Amino acid sequence: MKKILIIEDDLYLKELIVKKLKKENFEVLETSNGKKGLEKIKTERPDLVLLDLILPEINGYDILTQVKADPEISNIPIIIISNLGQIQEIRKGLKSGAVDYLIKAHFTPTKIIEKVKRYI
Amino acid sequence: MNILEDVQNAQKKAEEEKNKTLAIITNFTDGLLVFDKKNKLSLINPQAQNFLGISSKKIIGKSISELTGFSALNSLFKTFEGANKNAKKVFRKEFSLKKDSILEISTLPIIREKEKLGFLIILHDITREKIIEKAKSDFVSLAAHQLRMPLSGIKWGISMLLEEDFGKLSKEQKDTLRKIYYANERIVALTNDLLNVIKIEEGKLLYNLTKKDIVEITKKTIDILEEIIQERGIKIEFLVEKKIPKVKVDEEKISFCIQNLIENAIIYNIPKGNVKIILKYDEIKKEVLFSVRDTGIGVLKEEQKKLFTKFFRGSLALKKETVGSGLGLFVAKNIIEAHGGKIWFESEGKEKGSTFYFSLPIR
Repeated sequence: MKKILIIEDDLYLKELIVKKLKKENFEVLETSNGKKGLEKIKTERPDLVLLDLILPEINGYDILTQVKADPEISNIPIIIISNLGQIQEIRKGLKSGAVDYLIKAHFTPTKIIEKVKRYI
Repeated sequence: MNILEDVQNAQKKAEEEKNKTLAIITNFTDGLLVFDKKNKLSLINPQAQNFLGISSKKIIGKSISELTGFSALNSLFKTFEGANKNAKKVFRKEFSLKKDSILEISTLPIIREKEKLGFLIILHDITREKIIEKAKSDFVSLAAHQLRMPLSGIKWGISMLLEEDFGKLSKEQKDTLRKIYYANERIVALTNDLLNVIKIEEGKLLYNLTKKDIVEITKKTIDILEEIIQERGIKIEFLVEKKIPKVKVDEEKISFCIQNLIENAIIYNIPKGNVKIILKYDEIKKEVLFSVRDTGIGVLKEEQKKLFTKFFRGSLALKKETVGSGLGLFVAKNIIEAHGGKIWFESEGKEKGSTFYFSLPIR
């Protein structure tokens, strides 16, 4: 069973996507805090991370940079899910090493999971 | 005696005129530097001295090569590297000497009766405009985020209800939810359009222009629209005639234009209609020509003049799609014109399809 970690501070959105992921037979780990998210990537080694950008303690960009700088975990694919959507923000996310950047208001959970399946 | 008096009077008048001109230059809020035929600095006004932090005594009469010893002037000249000094056109660029201070620099030749007498450098302070631009950009970013947050919650929740993740639904319940879902999609699209309008107002003249490959931008845009193309069974064709040189554009804004025009060609088309996109390069006019042709509803003759105005929506378009803000083409027109290009369209009228064009000069 593939393991997905979701780091998202909007509890309602997190609840919805977790439900959908479980229905699709993924093992799901979740947190709403940036710092805890980074720790979980290190200790749990998920197969893929769904990462929000605006997060308490450590923001998504910094998480990405730290993950990509650590050879032990740098190969874990990370998909950004955010409602920030200006080109400079998207560019920054992809430059920092995310495999994809999805604007939450433009993707349903089903569409996000289709993307997840492409990268694992 | 009279002749002498006349000469004296004429001299006096000329002197007065000269003083007047000098007073204007001295009190001008832009910085001015005048170089003569031999590239020697012949005049610098107080504002320019202030911007550059150099007093005129030290530099007046010196040639460009001597002036490169002053670091402020050296970086100023470096900004102009690549500018053709003999060109008749104005050359503009942004320049920052001190932190929190941004100048727009223009250089232009001084010509009298076809003879070049030297050149002029104008330093114009745009710090305030830049601050406003940044504030607007920050606002758009924040507003987009805050507005999209609740809309995402609605979208995600309803989509899962519709997919029966929370239990079986009756047909009536599904129909209602679908309507709510599409109403929400309208708000999402409207939010995007409104934010785009705010962004367009931002820095109209001071676009971030870099040389980009329009073919690539168009391909990327078609990829983004893949889902809606499939959904509507549209046959899309993309032709590139000849090699297209790179064009100086603001990528985000040009992407918006291209996406808007192609999206319109898809949305206002007949089901399973055709969309044909062509990129050409006109070597004589030195411009890139983009066109997108559809087999859709067309535009009524009497409404054709209004198509690019703010909030206007054609009556055929309104009948076909209730969703839409009437802002897309207005925004696209502003963007293309700010790039020095033109945008227009041709339609024979109802159900005859339309072709939208824009041209961008190679600079």
